[in-house]
Amino acid sequence: MDIVANSLSLVRDTTRRERARGRLYVLCQLGGWGSFMLIQLTVQLTYSHVISATESARSAADLACAQVILVTTGLLLTHGFRPMMRRWGWKHMSWRMLIPRIAVLSLTASFFWTAAVSGYLHGILREPWPLEWPWMLLMACSWLNGSLLFGAWLGCYYFYHLTESLSRSEVERFAMMSSVKEAELRALKSQVNPHFIFNSLNSLRALIGEDPQRARHAVTQLANLLRYSLQSGQQETVPFEDELRIVKDYLALEQVRHEERLRVRLDIDPDTLALPVPPMLLQTLVENAIKYGISALPQGGEIAISAHREGGMLRVCVVNPGDLGTGEGASTGLGLRNAGERLRLIFGSGASIRLRSAGAAEVIAEALIPLATAPA
Amino acid sequence: MKALVVDDERLARSELKRLLAAFPSVAVVGEAANASQARSQLTALSPDLVFLDIQMPGESGIELLESIEPPIPAVIFTTAYDEHAVKAFELNALDYLLKPVDPARLADAVARTASRRAAVVARTEIPASAASGGEPSWPDGVASDGDMEGKCPGLRQRLSPEDKVFVREGERCWFVELGQIRLLESEGNYTRVHFGDAQPQLFRSLNAMEERLDPRSFFRANRRQILNLAWIDRIEPWFSGGLLVHLRGGGQVELSRRQAQEFRERMSL
Repeated sequence: MDIVANSLSLVRDTTRRERARGRLYVLCQLGGWGSFMLIQLTVQLTYSHVISATESARSAADLACAQVILVTTGLLLTHGFRPMMRRWGWKHMSWRMLIPRIAVLSLTASFFWTAAVSGYLHGILREPWPLEWPWMLLMACSWLNGSLLFGAWLGCYYFYHLTESLSRSEVERFAMMSSVKEAELRALKSQVNPHFIFNSLNSLRALIGEDPQRARHAVTQLANLLRYSLQSGQQETVPFEDELRIVKDYLALEQVRHEERLRVRLDIDPDTLALPVPPMLLQTLVENAIKYGISALPQGGEIAISAHREGGMLRVCVVNPGDLGTGEGASTGLGLRNAGERLRLIFGSGASIRLRSAGAAEVIAEALIPLATAPA
Repeated sequence: MKALVVDDERLARSELKRLLAAFPSVAVVGEAANASQARSQLTALSPDLVFLDIQMPGESGIELLESIEPPIPAVIFTTAYDEHAVKAFELNALDYLLKPVDPARLADAVARTASRRAAVVARTEIPASAASGGEPSWPDGVASDGDMEGKCPGLRQRLSPEDKVFVREGERCWFVELGQIRLLESEGNYTRVHFGDAQPQLFRSLNAMEERLDPRSFFRANRRQILNLAWIDRIEPWFSGGLLVHLRGGGQVELSRRQAQEFRERMSL
C-alpha cells in the first residue's frame, strides 16, 4: 500500500515539476533575451552618440529596429534548439559528450543568425555598417559573438538539466530506499517463521496419536508463541522474563520436531528477569541458532542461552554449533542486522548485536543492552 | 508400489506412514532421515515411489535427486512452507504435498503416480519394433548386451528409454525420460541434455552416461556428442566421407568418416 502511495505521489510530483520547469524556461528565455536587448541598446546608443552625433537621431531608431530583429530571431532560434536536442537525445548525455556538440551547434546557429540578420539589415534594408572595417571582418566578429552567446545559452540550459536530474534521481532513490526499508522491516518483524509453524503442526498431528498428553501441551505452547508474536508489534519493550517464557515454549516445540537432535542449556541470572528487552529479540537469536546450528547439521547439537548483568549492561548470549559464513546455508546476517538496528533505535548506540565464532565449531550471538539508558 | 519415506523428522515420517497405511497399493518399505541414508536405502530397496522432504540437514532433497544414479523412481516432494519450492514445483508440474498432508491430496498424488507407472509398463511390454513406427528399429535380439549383463553381475543395468533422469537448471527441474532426449553433449564433467525446448545440465560425465545408455537407441557420434537414433530427421553426406545428421526438434551432429562407417553398419543391420 505504502509503496503504491509513494509512487503515486512521486508521479504527481513529477507532473508538477514538469509544469514548473516549463514556466521557468519561458521566464528565463524572455528575461534573458530582454536584458540582452536592453544592454545592447544602451551600449550601442551611447556608443553611436559618441561616434557620429549628426546622424544619431536617424540612427537611434534604426539601431533599435535592428536590435528587435536580432533578439527576436535569436529567441526563435534558441527556442528551436529544444525540440531538436530532444530528438537527438542530448538530455541523456554527459558533459564530455555535450561540450563538442554544444560548440558545433553554437557555431552553426550563430552563422545562420549572423548571415540572416546582417543580410537583412545591410543587404536588403541597406543599413550602413556601424564601423569602417571590411564587412567580412565585421561579419566574422558578430559570428563569433553570436557563438559565444549561444554557447552560454546552451551551457546554462544543460547545467540546469544535469543538476536537476541528478537531484531528482537522488530523491527517487531515497524514496525507494525508505519504502523498501519499511517493507523489509514489516516482513522481518512479522514474527514466527511460517516454515516452523507448518512443520510444528505436522509434528503435532503425529503426536496426537503417539502421546496425546504431550500433544495437548504442545498446542498450548504453539498458541502462546503465536499470540505473543502477533502482539509483539504493539510494545517497544517487554520484561525479559516474558520473552524468556516464550523462547522456552518455542524451544519445546522445536524439541518435538528435532527430538534428540536438539538439546538446550539455560543459564539465566535471576537479576535479569525484570529488565526491559525488545519483544522477539531473544526469539530471533534462538531461531537463527536453530536454523543454522541444528537444522543444518544431521547430528544436531546443543543450544546454550545465558543472560547476565555486566558493567551496566544486560548481556544475552546464544551459542550454537556450526561455523560462520561457510557452506551454502551460511547466514546473510540480514535478520540479525535488523534486530540490531531495532535494538539501537530503542536503546541508543550503546546497544548492539554481534555474531562471532568461538572455537572451531561454535557460533555465539551476543546482544548487549545498556541498563542506564533503558526506557522505563 | 514400494515406497520410501525421506524426512529429517521422525514424527513427520510416522505421520506420513500412518496416512499411507490407508492405501493398500502402497507399501512403505523403508525410511530415511537424511540424504545419505536415503541414498543407501534407494540402492538397497529400489523403491518405486519416494516421498522426499526438500529441507533436510546437510543435503537437500533436490541435491539428493541430482546425485543419485538413474533410473530414478517416481518422486513426490513434501514441504511445510516454502513458497520458492512450491512455485518451482507448480511451474514444472511436479508432484508435491504440503505438510501437514491433506489425505485427499495424498490420494490424488498416489493415484497419479500409479497411473503413470501403469502407462510406462504398458508401453515397455509392446515389442520395440511395433512401437517405434517410422523410427529406426532393429530386429529383436540384435546388438543387445542383455545376455552379457547376466554373465557379468558387476555391470550395471542398461537404462531403457522409459527410465528417467533428474535434471535441474536454476529453479526448473525435470524428470525426463531418456527417450525424450535427442542429444547429449559433453561439457567437462557434466553433460548437457537436449529435450523439448530445454537443455539443462546433468551432473555426470558423457562417458558415464554412455556406459548406461542402450546402444540400440543411442549412438556415440563423436567425442562430444551422443545422439538418440529415434530423433533422427534426415542424414546428408558431409565432407570427406562424413555425415551430417539433422535431428527432429533442432540440432545437427557431424560424423567423421570413421564414425560414419560405424553408423552405416549399425543402421543397415
